[in-house]
Amino acid sequence: MVHKVKSLYNSERFLKIIFGASLFVVLCMGGLAYKYIKDLSESFTLVQHTYEVHIEIEELLSLLKDAESGKRGYIISKDSTFLAPLLTVRPEIDARLIRLKKLTKDNPKQLKNIGELEVKIEKSLNIFDKTLLLAETNHIDSPEFISSFKEGRRIMNSARFQVYEMIAHENELLSLRKEKSTESLSDAPLLVYYVLILSLALLLLTYAQISKNLKVLKVKNEQLETFKESSTQSEIVSKHGNWVWHIKDDTFEYSDNLYRLLGVAPQSFAPTLENFLSYVHPEDIDKLKEQVERMMNEEDLPFIYYRIIQKNGNVRHFKAYGKVLVDSEGDKRLLGTTADITDEIENYRLLEEQNLELERNNKELASFNYVASHDLQEPLRKIQTFLSRLEDKELASLSSNGKLYIERIKTSASRMRSLIDDLLQYSRSNKSDQVLEESDMNVLLETAKQDLAEIIQEKKAKISSEPIPVMQVIPFQIKQLFMNLISNSLKYSREDIRPLITITYKKSKANKIPKLKSSKYKYYHTITFEDNGIGFDQEYSEKIFVLFNRLHSKSEYSGTGIGLSICKKIVDNHNGYIIAEGNQDKGATFTVYLPFK
Amino acid sequence: MQDDYTHVVLADDDEDDRLFFIEAFEELKMKTKVETYKDGVALMDALLQEDTPIPNILFLDLNMPKKSGLECLKEIKANAKFKDIAIAIYSTSASEEDIENTFVNGANVYIKKPNDFNNLKKVLSDVVTINWQYHTSGLNRDNFLLRL
Repeated sequence: MVHKVKSLYNSERFLKIIFGASLFVVLCMGGLAYKYIKDLSESFTLVQHTYEVHIEIEELLSLLKDAESGKRGYIISKDSTFLAPLLTVRPEIDARLIRLKKLTKDNPKQLKNIGELEVKIEKSLNIFDKTLLLAETNHIDSPEFISSFKEGRRIMNSARFQVYEMIAHENELLSLRKEKSTESLSDAPLLVYYVLILSLALLLLTYAQISKNLKVLKVKNEQLETFKESSTQSEIVSKHGNWVWHIKDDTFEYSDNLYRLLGVAPQSFAPTLENFLSYVHPEDIDKLKEQVERMMNEEDLPFIYYRIIQKNGNVRHFKAYGKVLVDSEGDKRLLGTTADITDEIENYRLLEEQNLELERNNKELASFNYVASHDLQEPLRKIQTFLSRLEDKELASLSSNGKLYIERIKTSASRMRSLIDDLLQYSRSNKSDQVLEESDMNVLLETAKQDLAEIIQEKKAKISSEPIPVMQVIPFQIKQLFMNLISNSLKYSREDIRPLITITYKKSKANKIPKLKSSKYKYYHTITFEDNGIGFDQEYSEKIFVLFNRLHSKSEYSGTGIGLSICKKIVDNHNGYIIAEGNQDKGATFTVYLPFK
Repeated sequence: MQDDYTHVVLADDDEDDRLFFIEAFEELKMKTKVETYKDGVALMDALLQEDTPIPNILFLDLNMPKKSGLECLKEIKANAKFKDIAIAIYSTSASEEDIENTFVNGANVYIKKPNDFNNLKKVLSDVVTINWQYHTSGLNRDNFLLRL
């Protein structure tokens, strides 16, 4: 998404560059065209000028010729009508000369030629006059006339030659100019063509880019449309509404669902702060106003909580949060989300109430257990003490039956004592307010063995153990666990064989052990207690951990049915598992799994 | 001990326990003078009398009507007049909580009432013959509870 937006932004820059380049190319083309047209019109003017000069000179020459032929006609025929052109030729020649001078004023060579021509014409005209005069007076045979006539022809030829020279010069100029202009104009079409191709290419490129951008925009638009729709849906499902605060012009925008959360139809009031605040619970309004003010100052809104009252009087709990968003134009908007958390709060309250009740029940049970076992101790202790008094002082005066009864009472009393002691122990194995401590398990095992030293010695038991690493446990409970497991093994040992308890340790992976598969811990400390006692039938492997459950009669074995329940409770407290495996008449194995923390 | 006998006092609401206590000392034949009170109020009233001699060892039951053993302990420890009394807690239960509370409040030893008369005699004779000065200086949570 971000990547695409960036590429769009880049392509916008690209388009700008292309547009600038195109503009530049078009300007260049305009300039070039202007220059060519100017060149063309210039060369056209020059050519025209040359032709004009040409014509003027030719005209001049033909005037002279006319005058000459008129003169000759008159001399031969003596007809004065031949003289008509001669009368008008002079002013006309003068006018032509002035025009020629004007046309060639920037060409010194031509001007010089014209000057020379003028002198020659003048001379020629003078000779005309002279010959004409001689002809009129009939002196055509005179040598004077003949020499004048010859002189006239010579000057006439010289003038003609002069004119040819001038025409040649003008032609030369013309061809020179023509060459120059063709030279400069011959490249023009090709250059214009290239520039055209270039601008066409640029145009195509721009078109391609624009159409690509349009496609991206279309896709984006569709995505936005989808996103908008799904966000509207999620607003409804998760009971939240969105709003925007345009910081620059201090206006608000509320989503449809925000109105629904207030219990009104979408967009049914203008999205202003005042209108919204009118729904807020009177007890919360001051605090909320303060928070909104802080939001406006700091342009940030941390989580805030308040209540609103819907039109129908329902009070709802709201939670709001907002973050500033700066768009590419630099405009700042605060995007906010307001959620209706009434259900959560109510659920939480309910849960809390239930929790409290559970806690109360638990406490009651624990204290009942404690008080019952504690208060039971008192009379029992009296019974036992009085029994010992009776034994000490009055035994001699009792019959053998009486002595037996006393023995039986003593057995019962001590059994009741162990029951009460175990029950007390069980009630103390509660988890609450016990703190896990980093403990040396080997030390705990050693203390357990010490506490049982008497019975271990009596049974001549052998206990071997592997080192166990330090763990996070409730020390006195783990000691109790070790004690109970060892004394359980000793209690159910075989009569004919020396009790042997092997304690081993290893680290296990949870997914390797069927019972631990669904556990949330990955690794478990595994401590195994293996004995060579009477064992039990595997079908009772679960039952033996149930409170007051015994597999043997009281007369056979002295258990209370609480010891292993305490073990289970302690292991549960440590989020662990305890598993029993029995092999009838061969031995039992208890495996304790404690999680790695 | 300025006198040639040890002055021992017990405060316990249980009549049987007071009886066992007295009988035990009788059978022990030690040089002791034994007095018993039926509750904390009676004990404190007697102790606070000007002419009552201050006992050497005071046995306190915890669970007593009117004024509990713990309350008595606190009052005694707060009064400089009784600074030389060695205080032994003498209770049916030995819950961690009770042991902790009485230790923190300055009791010297904690005895769980035995369920055999001979054990009772042994415990009481041990307590009376303890060198209190020595015991108190090395007192900690582990040796606070007197084990049999």
